[in-house]
Order: sequence, then structure tokens, then C-alpha cells
Amino acid sequence: MLHQHHQQQHHHHLQSAITAAPPPSATTSTPPSSTTGEAPPKQVALAMDRLGQAARLIADIRLGADRLLEALFVASQPHQSSKPLHLFRQEDESMRQHLQDLRTVGKQLEESGVLNESLRSRSNSWGLHMPLVCPDGAVVAYAWKRQLAGQAGASAVDRTRLALKAFTDQKRRFFPHLDDEEDGEGTDTASKKHRNLPALAEDNQDNLSDCKTLSDVLTNMEKEIPNLKVSTYERLDWLKRASSLPASANDNTMEAPKHNFHGTSMLRPALQNVASMDKVAVIELFFPSIFRAVVSLHPAGSTDPDSVAFFSPDEGGSYMHSRGSSVYHVFRQITEHATVALQYFLGIRSKTALHSLLHWICSYQTLFTKVCNKCGRLLAMDRQSALILPPVHRPYRTLSVSKHSSTQSISSTLDQGSNAPEAYHIGCFSDNT
Amino acid sequence: MSVVYCHIFRRLISYNPYRKKSTTMPLKRVFFWQPNAGSTVNSQILNEVSQCVESINGVKEGRWKATLTFYKPMLRDQALSAEFPREFIGISLPEQPNKYYFVLRFNKIVLESDSSIQLIMEKLQSYKSRVALNFEGFQYQLGDFQLRVGKVVPSHSENLRGIVMEVEYLPISSLEKSKQIMEEFFDIWQDAISKRSLPGRFIHIEPDFSDYGLADHYTSQHTAVQYTHVTSQLIASVQAVQTGRN
Repeated sequence: MLHQHHQQQHHHHLQSAITAAPPPSATTSTPPSSTTGEAPPKQVALAMDRLGQAARLIADIRLGADRLLEALFVASQPHQSSKPLHLFRQEDESMRQHLQDLRTVGKQLEESGVLNESLRSRSNSWGLHMPLVCPDGAVVAYAWKRQLAGQAGASAVDRTRLALKAFTDQKRRFFPHLDDEEDGEGTDTASKKHRNLPALAEDNQDNLSDCKTLSDVLTNMEKEIPNLKVSTYERLDWLKRASSLPASANDNTMEAPKHNFHGTSMLRPALQNVASMDKVAVIELFFPSIFRAVVSLHPAGSTDPDSVAFFSPDEGGSYMHSRGSSVYHVFRQITEHATVALQYFLGIRSKTALHSLLHWICSYQTLFTKVCNKCGRLLAMDRQSALILPPVHRPYRTLSVSKHSSTQSISSTLDQGSNAPEAYHIGCFSDNT
Repeated sequence: MSVVYCHIFRRLISYNPYRKKSTTMPLKRVFFWQPNAGSTVNSQILNEVSQCVESINGVKEGRWKATLTFYKPMLRDQALSAEFPREFIGISLPEQPNKYYFVLRFNKIVLESDSSIQLIMEKLQSYKSRVALNFEGFQYQLGDFQLRVGKVVPSHSENLRGIVMEVEYLPISSLEKSKQIMEEFFDIWQDAISKRSLPGRFIHIEPDFSDYGLADHYTSQHTAVQYTHVTSQLIASVQAVQTGRN
């Protein structure tokens, strides 16, 4: 949207300026309210409102530019009265007004943190995030997406949890002397601290505590799952890499080392990773010759996944990102299933959603070898799509019960032995599992 | 003289067995039709096979054609022919229109070269085509699978000598990881085709790719090797039928 704004401004400058006195700036939007005095849902609503206003203003500007051009064209015809000049002046006035309004709205949006990430540190009140306009122009209204996509059951749980949190916060504020025992769940401020100090705390490594940083999660993954290659990227870096894929089989060893996540194994690169962990927005999980999964984090550096997609290990191109779609049916089906699983993980246990998601993704390493638990075959013709597919469903609900068990048992369930996670064809999968 | 030919030939192809870097392709199995004892292959069988593919939701896409040529060296002195490889085969594949593949079956060598090599060979008069076969037919899409069904005919005749089928699984290229998938697909295929009670069956014999220096990642060189083996099987079965008749 900002890109269009600049385009129109440029357009405006190209025309001969008949300098009319700039009209008094009557702003059409509500005066900027102090963000501290308002509850986050209202902030989000306001921000979405303003984005809508900005879009309308931009549309008005485009129309105005058209009218200006029209006036100029008419003026260039012979035998004209002063009518075009009048029209031109009128349009000029209203254009300037629109641009002024747009600037105002833009400032408001900036202040409320929509166009940049300045609000990240204070965005976590009540678990809602401000909508973000990404560098490529996409608007990510994270909170809305969650609310719309989450199942009704999940949002009730969310509301209860939020209410409990609000009460606990109030209690702590007004009755500190009563604040003896801490809830094991961990508080917002505690988890925020952990997120902003990406310390590789030793005690976090061996249990599924809720306060896990991004680097903890990834170190954990690397330790538990041998075939997996985890890499992290900033968002634009990932697009570059995606366009350069597929690397031929021989080139795997020549990947840029700074993108490989080495965790605590090497000291200096670990420090480098710690510094850039704040900007990590894309996680790539690569099982050579089996699949490549792309997970996007929002905001960057957090442990909040917001989308996931699966691709063939031999695929490449700029369409390979966490909201993209593989050219192969099998990976498209898995991506669909994964999107539902992601919403489930976020809805039920959003603090460990990333950890659960990544582990669940890794259960697909048996995609081409594990037979369906229901029919006992690897390939089956799916009635609905008339395609022959391997079992693309891996249940995700069962992972949530292992919240309090140690990582030991989780890694054993992912072994190829008798405890291997279940797999089902689309047609064999029933929601009762 | 023969040394000169070999030398020129090698230079033209720039053969280096330690650098088999070919583009990875989705993996493929080539099957050939083995008629039952006492029966032969005919175009009715070909029609039934095509219908069977369509019955498992295969969507016909277009035609395909591959060629396979047996070469013999052009020698003044025929006695020298023993020094030359016994079976020297050239293959062109539809998925690689700019390439031409050479296989020396008994020496276990496979080469990928530019398709202009055929013109060069002709100009040099170094090797002559002894027998040429065409594999041609229709291509079908079944989701992530691609099937090709084709007849085998000598290049200048319409005599049906055999039927081949290619089964390709597009999403991956690792031979090892895809083994089960391919086997199960063939089971599904067998279920479908056995309902038609045809006098024969499709067979796949996996060549030992490592003998040829080929890796787990599938390439068109693997396909060339498969075609070589399939052809020798076809010839053997045709000869067996002829011997049976005599």
C-alpha cells in the first residue's frame, strides 16, 4: 500500500503545479490516541480501521489523478472556456487534502507500530499482536488470523486463559503481599524476557518447559533427530535461497555455513547465531531425498509459527515459501493437513506450538516407507481426488498429551521401531483418533 | 586406425567417469511385456494395457518416442572387430531432446553426450547403425505418477516386436527411498491388469546401477541403462519364441 502511495505522489509531481493555497488540514481520521491507555483489542481494531482508511484514501488519490489528467486533456483541446482550469484547481485541492490525510494516517499507523516492528516488545499484552505490513506489502493481521482460523473450542480456551492471566496480573499488582506461590505456567513477562535474551540455558535443554527460546527449540531438534538438517533464515534471505534451489545432490555440503543452525556445538558461530536469532523468520527442515518443510515465524525471532508448507526435496523456485504450494500432489495434501495441525497446536498450547509443530513435521520422514495404520498399505487411491497417494495424514492430537513427559519419550515415539507415529491415508483417517 | 577412431571419439565426448554430474530426474522404472509361453505380443494387448491405465484414472497427455540403435564400427579390416566393444548402443530419450546416451553393456559404461554427436559420427563414418528400434506410444498422468505405454518397432517397419511401460514417480529422485512406493504401485497395477486376463505380464528387472558408476539419485543415464537391459531381454524372448518355433 505504501508503494502505491509513492507512485501517486510521483504522479502528482509530474504535473504542472498550479499553486493553490494548501487547504487547512482537516483530518478525517480520529486523533491519535495514546496506546497505553487502551486495551490491545481496541488497538488492533483501530489499526485495522486505519489501514482501511489508508486504502480508501489511496483509491481517492488515484481517482483524483485520473481527473487531473482528464482536465489537462480537455484543456489541451481548442476552443475551451475556463472550465478545465476550474476543474484542475478543484482536483488539485482535493488531491492535496487526500495526500495530507494519508500522511496523517500513515503517522498514526507508524506510532501504533503497524508499519514497523517497534511494538514487538509491547505487543504481547493478552497474546495479541498488532497487524504488520511486511516489506513486500502484505498485511499480516496475526491476531485476526488466529481468531478466524481457530476452532470455536480453541478460542474459548484462549479467553479463559486470558481472563486468568488478567486476574493474576491484577492480583500481583494490587496485592503483592499475597503473591507467594508462582503458577508453574510462567507469566507473560517471564516468557518475554526469555524471548528477548536468547540465552542457551542448560536447564532448558532437557525438559519441555514453556519458556523455550528459538535457539533452544532448534538445538533440541538437532539433538533428537539424526537425519534432519535445520536451517534458519531471515525472510528475504529465504526467498533468495528458494530461487536458487534445487541444489544438485552434490552441492549439499556447500551450503552457506552461517545459515545452518549449529546450536551449541561451535562456540563462535553460536554467538553469531545468537545475535541474528532475533531476525530469524524462516525455519527450513530438510530431510534429504524425502522432503523439505518451510516454517515461518511471526514476529521474527519469536517462537510463534504462523504458516508451514511442504515441498519436494528436488523442487526449487520463488514459490517455495511457507504459504506457497508444491507442484506435487502429495506435498500439497500434506501442506493442507499441516496448516490444520498448526492451528491446533497454536490453539491448544501456543507456548510450545513451535516445538510441537517441528516434531510433528519430523514424523513425516517416514512418508515413503510407513504403511497406513488402517489399511496396511503404502499407496492407496484416494476416492475424492482420484490420486494414488501415500499416507499423508499424521495425527497431531496425540502429541499434546505428552506435554509433561520428558523429551526422552517423544524421541522414542519418533523412532522407526514399534513406537513409530501413526500414519493414515486421507480416506483411512477418521477424526476419532 | 581403430586407435584413431577411439581417440577422436573420446575427445568428442569428453568422457570422464569420475564426473557423472547429470541433472537429477524423478525416478522411473521401465517394464517390458513378457508374453506367456506359446503366445506373442500383438496390438490388441497394447490397447488393453492403455485402457487399463485409463481405468486407474490415468489422463492421456500426449505422445512420446525414444530410440535405441545398435552400432557397429566401420572397419576396413573386419578382423579387428574383436577389439571393439561387443554391444555399442546409442539411445535418445524424449525428456532430454538435446542429449544422446551411449551404453556399452558388457563394459558397464554409460555416457551422456550432446545430441550433435550423431551428426559427427555420420560425418566421420566411424560407426554405422546396425539395428534401430523405436519405442513410441502415449503418455499418461496419474497424480504424482507418470506412465508411458509404448510399442517397440524396428525403425523402418511397423512390426510390433514388444511393449514397454515406464512408471515414473515425480516428487522424489532417490532410488532407495522410493523402492516401496514403486513396488506398491506395481501391485496396484497388477490388480488392475490381471482383471483383463491377458496372455503375459509386465516385468521389471532392476539393473545394478552401481556397476555403471551411477548413484542413488536418479538421472537419465539410469533410464538409458534400463532401456539397454530391457532391449536385450526383449531380443532374448523373441529369439526364444523363434527357437521354440523351429
